[in-house]
Amino acid sequence: MHLVSNDIAKQEYRVMPFSSVLLYELEKQKNLFVLKRFPKLQSHISTDSLNQLNHMNFHTNLNRLRFLLPIFLFAISLGLHAQEYDLLLKGGHLIDTKNNINTPMDIGIKDGKIKSVTKSISGKKAEKTIDISGYYVTPGLIDMHVHVFMGNQLDDYIANAQTSVMPDGFTFRSGVTTVVDAGSSGWRNFPLFKEQTIDKAKTRVLALLNIVGHGMKSRFDEQNLSDMNPEMTAYSITKLYPEILVGIKAAHYWGGFDQVDLAVEAGKRANVPVMVDFGEHDPPNSIESLFMEHLRPGDIFTHTYSYGPTQRETIVDENDKVKPFVFKAQERGIVFDVGHGGGAFSWRQAVPASQQGFKANVISTDLHTQSMNAGMKDLSNVLSKFMAMGFSLEDVIARATWAPAQVIGRTDLGHLDVGAEADIAVFSLREGDFGFLDVRRNTLKGNKKLETQLTLRAGKVVWDLNGLAGTDFSNK
Amino acid sequence: MDSYFKVIFGLITTLLISNIYAQEVDLLLKNGHVFDPANQVDTIADVSILNGRIAEVSQNISSETAKVIVDATGLFVVPGLIDTHTHVFVGPEAKKFANGIYSLSPDDFSFKAGVTTVVDAGTSGWRNFPQFKEQVIDHSKTRILAFLNIAGHGMTGDELESDISEMNVAKTVEIINQYPNTIVGIKIGHYNGKDWTPFERTIEAGEKTDRPIFVECHLPEYTLEDQLAHMRPGDIITHTFENISERKPVVDQNGTVLPVVMEAKERGILFDVGHGGAGFWFDQGIPAIEQGFWPNSFGTDLHRFSMNAGMKDFLNVMSKFLNMGIPLKEVFKRGSWYPAKAIGRNDLGHLGVGAVADIAVLRLRKGSFGYIDARNNLLKGDQKLEAELTIKDGKIVWDLNGLSAKPID
Repeated sequence: MHLVSNDIAKQEYRVMPFSSVLLYELEKQKNLFVLKRFPKLQSHISTDSLNQLNHMNFHTNLNRLRFLLPIFLFAISLGLHAQEYDLLLKGGHLIDTKNNINTPMDIGIKDGKIKSVTKSISGKKAEKTIDISGYYVTPGLIDMHVHVFMGNQLDDYIANAQTSVMPDGFTFRSGVTTVVDAGSSGWRNFPLFKEQTIDKAKTRVLALLNIVGHGMKSRFDEQNLSDMNPEMTAYSITKLYPEILVGIKAAHYWGGFDQVDLAVEAGKRANVPVMVDFGEHDPPNSIESLFMEHLRPGDIFTHTYSYGPTQRETIVDENDKVKPFVFKAQERGIVFDVGHGGGAFSWRQAVPASQQGFKANVISTDLHTQSMNAGMKDLSNVLSKFMAMGFSLEDVIARATWAPAQVIGRTDLGHLDVGAEADIAVFSLREGDFGFLDVRRNTLKGNKKLETQLTLRAGKVVWDLNGLAGTDFSNK
Repeated sequence: MDSYFKVIFGLITTLLISNIYAQEVDLLLKNGHVFDPANQVDTIADVSILNGRIAEVSQNISSETAKVIVDATGLFVVPGLIDTHTHVFVGPEAKKFANGIYSLSPDDFSFKAGVTTVVDAGTSGWRNFPQFKEQVIDHSKTRILAFLNIAGHGMTGDELESDISEMNVAKTVEIINQYPNTIVGIKIGHYNGKDWTPFERTIEAGEKTDRPIFVECHLPEYTLEDQLAHMRPGDIITHTFENISERKPVVDQNGTVLPVVMEAKERGILFDVGHGGAGFWFDQGIPAIEQGFWPNSFGTDLHRFSMNAGMKDFLNVMSKFLNMGIPLKEVFKRGSWYPAKAIGRNDLGHLGVGAVADIAVLRLRKGSFGYIDARNNLLKGDQKLEAELTIKDGKIVWDLNGLSAKPID
């Protein structure tokens, strides 16, 4: 084990240039001064700095302030004042679907938020500039279907169990800044999930609450109709955790439409979408009935390209034709989600569907231990896979940013509006001979692959593959 | 009579050989550059695998009887990589390594980086190793070995780690003898006192079980010189290239590797990288490599705070040393065979016939790459290793570009 220790923090301070130490001191004084004069501003200043300030003697500080003020003014005259931007991403090609941008743009970031997106921002205005010319820059990706309720209930399945993974090891390295857990937990164990995983993760973790109270504890628990409680589910979403819970999941049910209907009932109460994994019915239930009679516009059908016809009705028939009602369902507003997973993506569904003009609305991974090392791998690989099928870059980015943000009703995410949280991904587009596997171990060849160079979460660098944000050692 | 037996013997031999030739192999890697230093193989060759073991390594093995054929042309075929320094006792405890969220699930990181074996560096001690075994080791696909912490509760991150009464040699030896195939040594780290008892007990447990000790830093009251002087040939010290006040750096202010460190290496002390979040610094690594002071193994110190930092994964660490100037084949040796020997597991880290079929098929990418250290310093480079295929116990556990798969119609 080796953390970045206090030791380093101390050294950081020691190696700060003199001017920065001055500014640091001044910043403290200034805050204090402002605080005493405008007590209402307290709520805008973090608890940490408040604690720090409470320990200080006001008069001493005022004296120091008197001493420091001329130096401060001098510093300003030297142009050492706080920069307009903390970070500038310069020279990248921006793809921002919501804002209809697909062109080179510079991006200025301040206090963790997007401050400016324009053709050219001078490096002089930023504390730090990262040259990303030659790369694509996009809003941080949103993976709308993952399982991250990792835990050690060895006999259990996904809820607090080992089929789930911890998010941060997969997200940032593939440009993902937000994941949506797809029903690993239900209203009974969501508090544990939140405490154990969500509150500890650097990735923004949102969740669909399973209509089953115990979530995905086991296949048998998932059949228990008496544990599917629309009232408790809706209450958790609207009253207890509205910031995190963005919808409802119905999955792995062996019976008829009763589970979906209960989930939709909860969805109506909470005014959120329902995602349905409609497999494991033997014989399969009608997906036409699901799309046209049971789900509402805005509800989500996942595992779109799954091929396991004895347990799940497919969207493409045995003659490789997309069933006509599938187009109609999409027109009606049913959202189709990829949910690649370990067993839910087949070329024999995806290729003909794409050729016939049917595209899933959202591209997601269904990340868990059975998919992570198989054909899925990570979201950037799944996006590259869709490019190998003929989707354009801007199309796959749209389906992993602005599209899912809208589907889950989180329109604060998935774009780079000025004022938005600076969740950003920077990709290189590798050229070469690549292959992409489906769940039946067939390969489709491709010649492009997205590689995540840099990921920012709330303005902070959380992944830097090749040291774009590093200081060149050879110059030392 | 004699000739009768000779005939029978000849017949049996013929039958056996023909049987071998008729036998289907499960997997055949064709035409890769096989590098297996333990068996002095360094050439373009084929590798066949049957029942999870290496069946044959030679030129032009027939493809006719192989169930799966992989064309490894242009790729390196090396023994599955061994990461000597990880923290994988993952569990629900907040702010902890032992059974905590600071540790990671090994399968999330290993196979995609060509790693088939990880060694947990003392996250557990004699008290909680059985829990670690049941909870993680037995449920992972990655082969997990472990250094047992001399502190009974392992890495709790609190005063328990410095409690000498919890450092019980008899219990430590008992657990090692109970799990001799999994525990490969004893670790000491995170002790704040001046007393040498913990170090001596670690060595005593090593003596009694014939295993190396693994020395982490976070031993602020022990000088580097004293640590090295206490260590025996074959013992391992990690975080070699760190530069923090807690332990004297191996390279001095003038950029010279300390003579005491060079002497220790000559005496047989093994130096592990232990990259981690703060354990690798270019101002240490670059001069050391230039002066011929190379690490024996590339332990990543994989945990929650290194995974997304300059460390990233095992191949990134290997690539970093490649770009710092260690030649490719010397890098490969330190990726599998040297660490196998260091942990006394000569059954691993090579591709001898009959050996466990743990294999990494690697691509050496050329291009423009960068590597960062604990201080976010950047070293630019033009080479990077990438795992195309990882095979564990003869099974394909990672296939980046579908080398082992069928093209779609």
